[in-house]
Amino acid sequence: MAAVSFSQIQKSFGKTAVLHGISLDISDGEFMVLVGPSGCGKSTLLRMLAGLEDITGGTIAIDGRVVNDLDSKDRDIAMVFQSYALYPHMTVRDNMGFSLKLRKDKPARIAEGVARASRILNLDPYLDRYPRELSGGQRQRVAMGRAIVRDPKVFLFDEPLSNLDAKLRVAMRSEIKALHQRLKTTTVYVTHDQVEAMTMADRIAVMNEGRIEQLGEPLELYDRPANLFVAQFIGSPAMNVFEGIFKNNHIEALGARWPTSARAAEGQSVKYGIRPEHLALGADGIAAEVEVVEPMGAETEVLVKVGAQTFTVMTHGRPTFGPGEKIRLAPQAAHAHLFDAASGRRL
Amino acid sequence: MNRRLLSEAKLWLIAIPVLLWTLIPIYHIFLFSISTKDSAFSGALWPKEPTLRNFGTVFRQEHFYLHHFWNQIWNSLWIAVATGLITLLVATCAAFSISRLRVRGGRTVMNAALFTYFIPAAFLAVPMYKAMGTYGLLNSRWSLVLAMVTIAAPYAIWVLKQASDKLPWELDEAARIDGATPMQLFRLVYLPLMVPSLVAIFTYALLLAWNEYLYAFLLLSHENTIPLAVGLGHFLSSDDSPWEILMATALVYGLPPAAIYYAFRRYMVGGLTSGAVKS
Amino acid sequence: MSSIALPREAPAKPPRKGLSTWQTWGILLLAPYVLVFFVFVLYPVSYGLWLARNPESYRTLFEDPIFFHTVVNTVFFLLVAVNLKFVLALFLSGFFVHDRRWIRWLSVIFIIPWAVPAIPTIFSIRFMLNPEWGVINSLIFRWFQVDGPNWLTNPQLAMAMAMLVHIWKALPFWTLILMAGRLAIPKELYEAASVDGASAWQKFKYVTWPSLRTLYITSTLLSLIWTLGDFNSVYLLTGGQPADKTHVLATLGIRYIRLDQLDHAMATIVVALPFVLPLVYFMMKRLSGDEQKTS
Repeated sequence: MAAVSFSQIQKSFGKTAVLHGISLDISDGEFMVLVGPSGCGKSTLLRMLAGLEDITGGTIAIDGRVVNDLDSKDRDIAMVFQSYALYPHMTVRDNMGFSLKLRKDKPARIAEGVARASRILNLDPYLDRYPRELSGGQRQRVAMGRAIVRDPKVFLFDEPLSNLDAKLRVAMRSEIKALHQRLKTTTVYVTHDQVEAMTMADRIAVMNEGRIEQLGEPLELYDRPANLFVAQFIGSPAMNVFEGIFKNNHIEALGARWPTSARAAEGQSVKYGIRPEHLALGADGIAAEVEVVEPMGAETEVLVKVGAQTFTVMTHGRPTFGPGEKIRLAPQAAHAHLFDAASGRRL
Repeated sequence: MNRRLLSEAKLWLIAIPVLLWTLIPIYHIFLFSISTKDSAFSGALWPKEPTLRNFGTVFRQEHFYLHHFWNQIWNSLWIAVATGLITLLVATCAAFSISRLRVRGGRTVMNAALFTYFIPAAFLAVPMYKAMGTYGLLNSRWSLVLAMVTIAAPYAIWVLKQASDKLPWELDEAARIDGATPMQLFRLVYLPLMVPSLVAIFTYALLLAWNEYLYAFLLLSHENTIPLAVGLGHFLSSDDSPWEILMATALVYGLPPAAIYYAFRRYMVGGLTSGAVKS
Repeated sequence: MSSIALPREAPAKPPRKGLSTWQTWGILLLAPYVLVFFVFVLYPVSYGLWLARNPESYRTLFEDPIFFHTVVNTVFFLLVAVNLKFVLALFLSGFFVHDRRWIRWLSVIFIIPWAVPAIPTIFSIRFMLNPEWGVINSLIFRWFQVDGPNWLTNPQLAMAMAMLVHIWKALPFWTLILMAGRLAIPKELYEAASVDGASAWQKFKYVTWPSLRTLYITSTLLSLIWTLGDFNSVYLLTGGQPADKTHVLATLGIRYIRLDQLDHAMATIVVALPFVLPLVYFMMKRLSGDEQKTS
């Protein structure tokens, strides 16, 4: 286990700059998730930590030691790839023991290391099978087993669950989280799925276009997003956002008054953001029309229209109205976010 | 029902001429080899008294042109296997270097190889003959081996590179993170995964060298070093040669490639056409 | 970076300054082939071109009547043999892609001419065509009571026979290539065409040919280059005879070697270069171009 520190990291591919001075400190034992849309640079950052990409500028340190010039194998890290990257011609046992074999460890020690990892991940029945005989989830576990055997200072995960189906993903998420709680190894986890980020991370770094938009604990990002990008990226279904003018102590938009406890300058153009679960549907509030009702069992997702804008509303329990009905929308002022219309920054 | 019959009939209509066209010259070799001298020249389609005597003559080296038969077969074999092995070695290392290690200048070397592959072999023969003379290799079996390697390697590198490019990059990255040195990557990850292509290439180079005539007779003329192909060519130097014995010898010469090709056909067809089509 | 569907491109070179272990090994492993190339291609070719530097050789070459015949033969050979071969390959490739057990077996047999050595087979054809005692003429005499033609002693017939021999030997390889090309065409295209009401010819014209066209043309060009170098078909069948009238450039070059006139041999080859080199250049661009598109 060790702390990882990124200092002013720059990365360019030829003339194109993809990372613009990223600084990030990860504490010993922390589960840090790098999340963001495709192309934001999260995988590049991870691969630079792994030693698979050149570092154009800045330094990366593991356990206080700068690793810029160290080969991957000397950094004491292990990586789990999106496509598992299992050696197809080796059994599960050989796959997991490969790194030890390369170091020329004694066969007894290799067997011991493999057995230990296999026990933790429940891979004992599969040790003599080949990757092609395993399911996606099993292969992913073998990939994790391979990483565990090395007992490294840092675990790196590069979108490991993207190739699995939805149900398996949920199951594997808990497994990875449980593994982290057990082994307490510093982990850097890259994903584009904000649900994975929210459920697994100690802290999240939301990235966009080569910059960190916000760094913080999951609920902090959820409750107090620093800008529009984070607000709309985190949380599913996404936050409802529309443009309005701040007047007195409310927002005027879409021909109605929207309450908020945040403050802005009088007459300022702002973006009003409110999450689906903070909108109530009932008899009081802003006039709206129901468009689509999507019952999900415990909750119901309702799409309503105010003027030209469509809102997603999340209500508990079963639907009590149908499409086409006129209804009233009541936003909770305490949970309304205001963002500057031009910069997107939180007000 | 009728439509199926009709389309089947159309297929047979094509198949039969193709079969005849392909096999008639082959059958003719066989026909001659089991005929006596007289019946061979009588133009019969099947000898009156089929005999295996010709093969006996061949194996006992009982004719003037056959005195060195076993020596020549041995030379053919030696040259073919040496070519196969050396081509395999050179091409595998080069393909690994270009494809996985992404060495600087890899593309240039690949282009140089392609150039050699495209140039007609007969054109290269004249300069090669002169160069081998300069190197003092004429009449050594090595001259033919090295010439064949030169001709076979470019295609081998191309095929291996194509196959190698299909291996996922994550494997190399995982191996490097696991701590592999370049040699360990080559030995423990790359080679095991390339086995089908390696077999195809070895077979290709082997057959190329065994079947070669032009370079063989240009570069080797000493009785002790000539391969069987050249030995067969000697039969033509007189108008009165025993053609039926020639055909028997030719049959013996032609059987190994046919057998090897048949045994490895799956590797060869896949390997050899992979470079042609990008699917 | 990208998330799911796209296969990842090969990353840029492994990170390291100067000559890392990886780069060193890269050079070491490439060295054997580079050595082979320098010693057995670059040097001989350069030396050969140097041998061909004397303009005298060309003058004597052009004044030799054999040369003129040879060029005519070669041009004919290329135009007729290659195109005929490819039309046949196109046709047969359509035949061999049918999914039947017996057709698959037939394709294994069909490859034999290409897989077995040239000497046994071309000699066999040579003997079959022998005007006096060859099987063909014997049969013709037996069935029609006339003397068969002088297959190998009439220069025109002999050239035609050489072309047939070439086709016999080379057809399987190109048929295989075009087969691979056909198999790469998704079945759904044909099914959609069937539903749209296309006839067999229309399917060929609108589905098969557009997909196959590039491969066909590229292969034809490559085959032109290689056929130019086809020594065996002519040499083993006629030896250039009668009276050196059935030579092609490849056999002519070798003839000059036998006569110990190396400069003439090289001149013969150099004369063909203005034709060969642009084709080779084109082929190389094609193949490396395809490389970049799919890598």
